[in-house]
Amino acid sequence: MQLVLRYFFYQTRKTLFLVGAGLLFALTLSSFIDEHMVDALKQNISVPLQILYAELIGFVSPGPRYILYPLLATLHDYGIGTGVIVALISGHVLIEPSTFFVEIGFFGYRFPLKRFFISLVVTFLAGLLTTFLID
Amino acid sequence: MIERFKQRSTEVKIGISLIVVSILLSLIGKKNLWEIIQSNSQVILKILFLSMIAVGISTIVHFIVPEDFFKKYLRQNKLIYLFTATLLGILTPGPVYAIYPIVVLLKKEGINNAILVSYITGQTIVGPARIPFEVGLFGLNFFIYRVILSLAMGVAAGFLYSAISKVFPDEK
Repeated sequence: MQLVLRYFFYQTRKTLFLVGAGLLFALTLSSFIDEHMVDALKQNISVPLQILYAELIGFVSPGPRYILYPLLATLHDYGIGTGVIVALISGHVLIEPSTFFVEIGFFGYRFPLKRFFISLVVTFLAGLLTTFLID
Repeated sequence: MIERFKQRSTEVKIGISLIVVSILLSLIGKKNLWEIIQSNSQVILKILFLSMIAVGISTIVHFIVPEDFFKKYLRQNKLIYLFTATLLGILTPGPVYAIYPIVVLLKKEGINNAILVSYITGQTIVGPARIPFEVGLFGLNFFIYRVILSLAMGVAAGFLYSAISKVFPDEK
């Protein structure tokens, strides 16, 4: 039990620091977004392109997995489609620049290259499917 | 100071970098950092609370599921196991770096790369620790939909990898 508690407190400390820093970053970034900006984005960019941009933004976004959630909640409140949100969540984690290089080290350059391409295709299709099914 | 920063763990480095970037962003934005924190205090408390629940779930999975569980079930080297690989990926907690030792071991034992891709895909896009965040912010239906979608995405990623490898094979 002591081992479990020690593990829990160690992970909590580490996670809260990282999530706290990530939250600060995501909320600061959210402060640049307003309803008019999202409306303009929705009117000027078609849904497939919104999904593609979302996954590309996800790919280059820094930080741990959970930091996007406050930003996603803001976008959701402003009426951004679920397809775009799914593309952002998936894009953020499927391939990260840092893991790309780790995978080159372990498996050679072809493995992450193919995974990057496949992730782009699969995430795009998932975003489109969600748009048709939910939005 | 730079030397001390270099000696810190990756998490601390990322955390400090994010704080610095936030401060810089707030300097060019309309609101200062304190205003941003004040106006979002409820969201901050909610996310921190959800984070603690997420750590609790990860801790339970970490101690309940034996370490060799994932290795045992991914040894079956057939493409039909793409679904199993994705499902096991979804059940594996922790950051993506934590699963590379498992993935490398499986690779050494001759597991098909397509199965590894399904496993990595499942592990990264959804996981036990995401439950509180997604249910708390978007509802239970959204999370259930995401799990089903992730299963399809993992299997599709494995199939695509296998298909692409026929024209662009892996290095020996």
